[in-house]
Amino acid sequence: MTRQSRWIVGPVALTLMLMTGVGSVQAQDADVVGETPVLLTSCGQSPGPTFVKLFLGRLEMDFELLDQATAQDLIDAQSAGNPFKSIIIVTGASLKGMGAAGVSMREELIRTEALIAEAKGQGLTIIGAHVEGMDRRAQGAAAGDNSDEQSIDAVMPFSDVMVIRQDGNEDRRFTVLSEAEGIPLILFVKNMEMGDAFGRVLKK
Amino acid sequence: MKLRKLVFAVFGLLLLTTSGTSFYRSRHLEEAVVLSPGVSEVKKLGDYFEGIRGTVNDCNIYIMEGEEPGGTVFVMGGTHPEEPAARLAAWILAENAVMEAGRLIVVLSSNRSASLVTRVGGAYPPDFSIPTDWGERTFRLGDRWADPLDQWPDPEVYIHYPSGQFLAFVDIRNLNRTWPGRPDGSLTERTTHAFMELIRQEKVDLFIDLHEAELQYPVISTIVAHDRGEELAAFTSMMLSDMEFNMGMEYSPPSLHGLSHREVGDHSDAVSLLFEAPEPFLDATRGKTTREQLLTGKDEFVVKAGKAGLLFEKMDENGWPVDVRVGRHTSAVLMTMETWSELNPDRPLRCRGVPRYDEIIALGLGHWLHDPSAAPPERVEIE
Repeated sequence: MTRQSRWIVGPVALTLMLMTGVGSVQAQDADVVGETPVLLTSCGQSPGPTFVKLFLGRLEMDFELLDQATAQDLIDAQSAGNPFKSIIIVTGASLKGMGAAGVSMREELIRTEALIAEAKGQGLTIIGAHVEGMDRRAQGAAAGDNSDEQSIDAVMPFSDVMVIRQDGNEDRRFTVLSEAEGIPLILFVKNMEMGDAFGRVLKK
Repeated sequence: MKLRKLVFAVFGLLLLTTSGTSFYRSRHLEEAVVLSPGVSEVKKLGDYFEGIRGTVNDCNIYIMEGEEPGGTVFVMGGTHPEEPAARLAAWILAENAVMEAGRLIVVLSSNRSASLVTRVGGAYPPDFSIPTDWGERTFRLGDRWADPLDQWPDPEVYIHYPSGQFLAFVDIRNLNRTWPGRPDGSLTERTTHAFMELIRQEKVDLFIDLHEAELQYPVISTIVAHDRGEELAAFTSMMLSDMEFNMGMEYSPPSLHGLSHREVGDHSDAVSLLFEAPEPFLDATRGKTTREQLLTGKDEFVVKAGKAGLLFEKMDENGWPVDVRVGRHTSAVLMTMETWSELNPDRPLRCRGVPRYDEIIALGLGHWLHDPSAAPPERVEIE
């Protein structure tokens, strides 16, 4: 690609990304479609929710981002008469992110378990998301640290649908889980396709 | 007995002379900068804070006014001179960038003192050379910390100002542990204070600090973003990963003090980002610490560390050549400008003349380093 064409392609691609809904997404039949409002949160405090937030905003979805959402947040929303209908939990661990939040991976797992239990109880559609590829797969804070995989184990088997960036599935971890548990799997290749992927599993 | 003493004395004198000569040459090696046609002004850091004027850290500030108005981006190289791709990427900007919209400020030796010394006891090569289309250019290797000759003694414990956080004693000479600095502090603290003054006086919108990291460090091949830069960093990371190479993103922890990605954003209006590229030279498990290892990024022992699952970035026999590392930085800077312009159309940043990742790999970074002897003397600066 020449320098001139890159200056054209780059802004165009960025504009398409901002508009969302562009690109091809590999998926099983996405017969799971969550409703809004959506609670967006993290298990592992990676920046993944920030990526998802950008696309949900462009899709004009009614959502709230709480990096450390708790079961109580779901209860409070329900008590206030404005319950969440869906929850997106983004997996992947970040040492800097957990440090910033002042939490450990163990605390993240405890919080997530309670959150999922409450979400199941309220009948929310649970969307497990892994959007940062192999950067957030078994590359924890030190050798032997498997925080990334722990976050995936804490969320994906309990999800109604999984939205995954394809390069994070190079070992077919999510495919195997999908086939074993019957959880629909939405794979997208390029980041600019992320909006399209979430557009398929959520309706306004 | 006397003869043995004499032999040892002569041997010691020989070591002292050869090493002393090497240290002297390293500290006084002049690095030329052939100014890009886009450089409209060269200032000194001391122009922004009198307390740094005339010191070893009174470095050059290259300013490129755009042809059209826009935002102001400040790209910093040389925070840790032993991370040469960061300095060289800034060098490429200083020698080639022309701003079409907005303003670019570039620094190549932000901790100039640290560029004048190498790791004590580390057996670092004192310098390295980059082949170019017309010959070669030689650069000082430098160290992570300011030269103890310029800032001494170190405290028992370094207490960061203003947070009061306790940091490693040696980091009082680490430019990326002394932000936002203070006017009456150590040389390194005064240096960061001067840069904060520059950022405030020049009304910098976007601050980018270029770095390299060892592969055994989890924060690698990534953008570390201040809270106000999260959206910018997220888009830039996604665009780079889609179009050029994999680039991650990390949050700047609010409680980790002294680092540019935290303090510049907290103490000024600028959005602060820090870019990390992989540099096997920095890995503790490396083999010989040579110029070749520095420039090729090849190391069989780091490869073995990767096979043992100790690395956070891929490593194979191809290594991480300096062209790849510099290209990652120039592309990341350009992509950040493009993303910034999309998100802030009232303050655009548009730049031409700077090669991207694939261009640098194709032609070598030396293609964009110009011959000082062929340039008009008034367009050549010394770092």
